[in-house]
Amino acid sequence: MVASFESRPLKVAIWLMTAIGLAIIYVPPLYLVAVSFNPALQPALPRLSDISLTWYVALAKERTLISALQESLLIATITALVATGLALLSALAYMDLGKWRSRWFMFVLLPMFVPGIIQGLSLSVIFGRIGLKPFWGTVAASHLLWALPFAFTVILTSMAAVRRSYLLAASDLGASWWRQLVDVTLPLIKPGLVAAFIFSFLLSLNEFGRAFYLVGRQNTLPLAMFGKMNSGASPTIYALSGSIFLASILAVAFVLLAARSNDRKLRR
Amino acid sequence: MKSPGFLLALPTALIVLLLGFVPLIVILVWSFWTWDPATYWIRPEFSLAGYEAILEAGRWSVILGSLGKAFLTATICVAIGYPAAMAVHFLASRRTALLLMALFTIPFFTSYMIRAFSWRLVLGRNGLINGWLMDVGIVDQPLDWLLFSNFAVNVGLVASYLPFVIFPLILSMQRVEPSLLAASQDLGAGFWRTFRSVLLPLTQAGIFAGFLFVFVMAAGSATEVQMLGGAAASMISVMINDVMRVVNFPLAFAISTVVMIILFGLIYIGNRLFKLTRLFEGFTW
Repeated sequence: MVASFESRPLKVAIWLMTAIGLAIIYVPPLYLVAVSFNPALQPALPRLSDISLTWYVALAKERTLISALQESLLIATITALVATGLALLSALAYMDLGKWRSRWFMFVLLPMFVPGIIQGLSLSVIFGRIGLKPFWGTVAASHLLWALPFAFTVILTSMAAVRRSYLLAASDLGASWWRQLVDVTLPLIKPGLVAAFIFSFLLSLNEFGRAFYLVGRQNTLPLAMFGKMNSGASPTIYALSGSIFLASILAVAFVLLAARSNDRKLRR
Repeated sequence: MKSPGFLLALPTALIVLLLGFVPLIVILVWSFWTWDPATYWIRPEFSLAGYEAILEAGRWSVILGSLGKAFLTATICVAIGYPAAMAVHFLASRRTALLLMALFTIPFFTSYMIRAFSWRLVLGRNGLINGWLMDVGIVDQPLDWLLFSNFAVNVGLVASYLPFVIFPLILSMQRVEPSLLAASQDLGAGFWRTFRSVLLPLTQAGIFAGFLFVFVMAAGSATEVQMLGGAAASMISVMINDVMRVVNFPLAFAISTVVMIILFGLIYIGNRLFKLTRLFEGFTW
């Protein structure tokens, strides 16, 4: 720690900016979660005595939202499976690619920067031309491009646990490339694989723009929610938004806590 | 045994090329074709009609306006993100640092649509901020410009893309040799001098990477404008949707092409100047 960073006003200023950053990210959605427990129609913070699950119970009757949720869960599962598999291969390739590494990293990352609407539109005209009708698979194709860079980075990070010496030792003992992968690398990066799967799942579940041109008859959840949000938002949408937001937070928190406890084990 | 690097890369390379890049290249080619009203499609005759149409109906100003919004968003994100990254790297204990990194990681995987939507509850006429302003007595009437305005869009964009700036900044700070900061101090430099002459130059790759990430993501965004913008508010992606409503393919393709060239051009230049990929090598928690 550098002493000149220890001046009090400076520290206060730095922490204040950090707090502002976190507040911008978290206050509105958490306020929405709180509002979702208010049985009144007018959005406001509920009094403690008023807290109710009215809107959560009402969710059960929202047929369109429920079938959209099912579609999104299907797409998210497929996206996450394929993204995790491809990301694992890409990360293993990265380790072997030597001077091509940086270029390979950039290549896998690039689709993340393509605006969702443009990616979705371009895919939809291509699919249309080759006669592929929009269905869950076409949506998953676009979500894959969005999730893959994140899954790749996560697995690549977890590769730090695989020391070169482990692989050399395994190889000295006669392990083939495949045996090294199955007996050394995969067990060490398992937390990374789980994290990549959950992150990809969430990215797909919450992705809105890419699906716009690619859905078939059945909307994805974000598209269905977007419609509801802009047609005189009934408070059930607060309940749904709130639950999706909290579920996403819990899933990420689980991944991060698991990574931390695994980290500790490795260090011991 | 020789390791199969290129073979392992093959499936991903094919998928990214076929699903990611080939469609974009096809769109680029098709943006020069001619619109055929008989088939509601295009035919392979060279035409610049799509590009000429960009210059009409204020479309150009929507593109520039979007880039302007993206620039403002990226600047604000760096201004908030830099101190936040300093807090994580220089000030926080190991425990707090991990907590902060977790808090900045979570938003990547929550819905940006829900987060943009939730600003309506905060900025609206009956929202959190107007309620508070009136309770305290700063205003008598709720402020109308808070929501469905450029202000709201910019706030929403900063909230959505702030996490993208934090990690490049933390990574670049991790690469600063602490002894350099100590040396600057031993030579009598105060905080600001050390900050300006040592820390800032050594972290410029992180600043640029963070700025670029936010800029590119914000320039391509649609949700924040759709949720929080006024009636006339537009953004490149929203404009493409509007053009597609009247199935004007060449124009939609031309806009997409122009935008992709601008964004990928910036990423290419950034990578050449600052070696952005090197920032991520050896990333650890």
